[in-house]
Amino acid sequence: MANHSATHPKHVHHHFVNSNQQFESAKLGMWVFLVNEILFFGGLFCAYIVFRAWYPELFTQAALELNTFWGAVNTVVLIGSSLTVAMAIRSAQNNQKRGLEINLLITIFLACVFLVIKYFEYEHKLHLGIAPGSFWNPTPEIAAVLDHPKANIFFGIYYMMTAVHGLHVIIGIALMVWLYLRARKGHFNSEYYTPVEITGLYWHLVDLIWIFLFPLLYLIE
Amino acid sequence: MSEHHGHHIASAKQLWGIGIALLILTVLTVTVAGLGLPSPFDILSAMAIALTKAFLVAAFFMGLYWDTKFNSMLLIGALAFFILMVSITLLDTLYRDNVVPSF
Repeated sequence: MANHSATHPKHVHHHFVNSNQQFESAKLGMWVFLVNEILFFGGLFCAYIVFRAWYPELFTQAALELNTFWGAVNTVVLIGSSLTVAMAIRSAQNNQKRGLEINLLITIFLACVFLVIKYFEYEHKLHLGIAPGSFWNPTPEIAAVLDHPKANIFFGIYYMMTAVHGLHVIIGIALMVWLYLRARKGHFNSEYYTPVEITGLYWHLVDLIWIFLFPLLYLIE
Repeated sequence: MSEHHGHHIASAKQLWGIGIALLILTVLTVTVAGLGLPSPFDILSAMAIALTKAFLVAAFFMGLYWDTKFNSMLLIGALAFFILMVSITLLDTLYRDNVVPSF
């Protein structure tokens, strides 16, 4: 046992040959999870495609109720947070503890900005009675502009896709806070930063999903 | 130390370059959407730009460009199965005489 730990770095588990194999295995595992995530969101995108093929005029009409400006701002916010996550990984690879902490904090901040903007978008719509499915109860002004019998379906898809995406953002924030606390304790360095790398992959996927949600939901008027 | 020779460290310049390219493409997609291109060119241009952005994120932010090809294969496999799922679903829904009434 003593001999064993003398030849292996502390973070390497016994069933791995070396640190690099452990790192690559963790990354492979994360990619398999991301495949599952893509197909999970894929089901929602599939619903979007089917209903858009059935009611193309509804989608162009209903998208007018979405605010392109705030959608674009949120796209920029998420791209910025992807950049800071990539910079956080780079900091860890270069043993820059302070850089890692700062980049994680900026990422957490940007993720919160995204959610706050999303909250105000939801709040505004729900105030106008633009709710999903059977909760659809638009004000007379909205009903006059959006007189499509299936209008509630577009917003059912909108709320489902953005809310599930938002849930991923919330989980991402929790993971970043966990990383930040560990980074402060000095758990990560150029030899071991697997959790930063893995969480980074997750966060980039959340960004990827939004890259498609933004043009498909906001930019079709 | 020698165990880590395989890890690529992207330069700050590279990462900022990708970030700025993504911002430019975001501005581009909003501008193109504002032109009001006739269908199907509106959706085609939007998806072409989104796919370019997705490629940049996957290749450089997620590091697939420097990574083992197996991870790229997983991503491409996921996209292939997504296309399969959509295709088979559309084979049904596009060729119905009557859409299910409650839908």
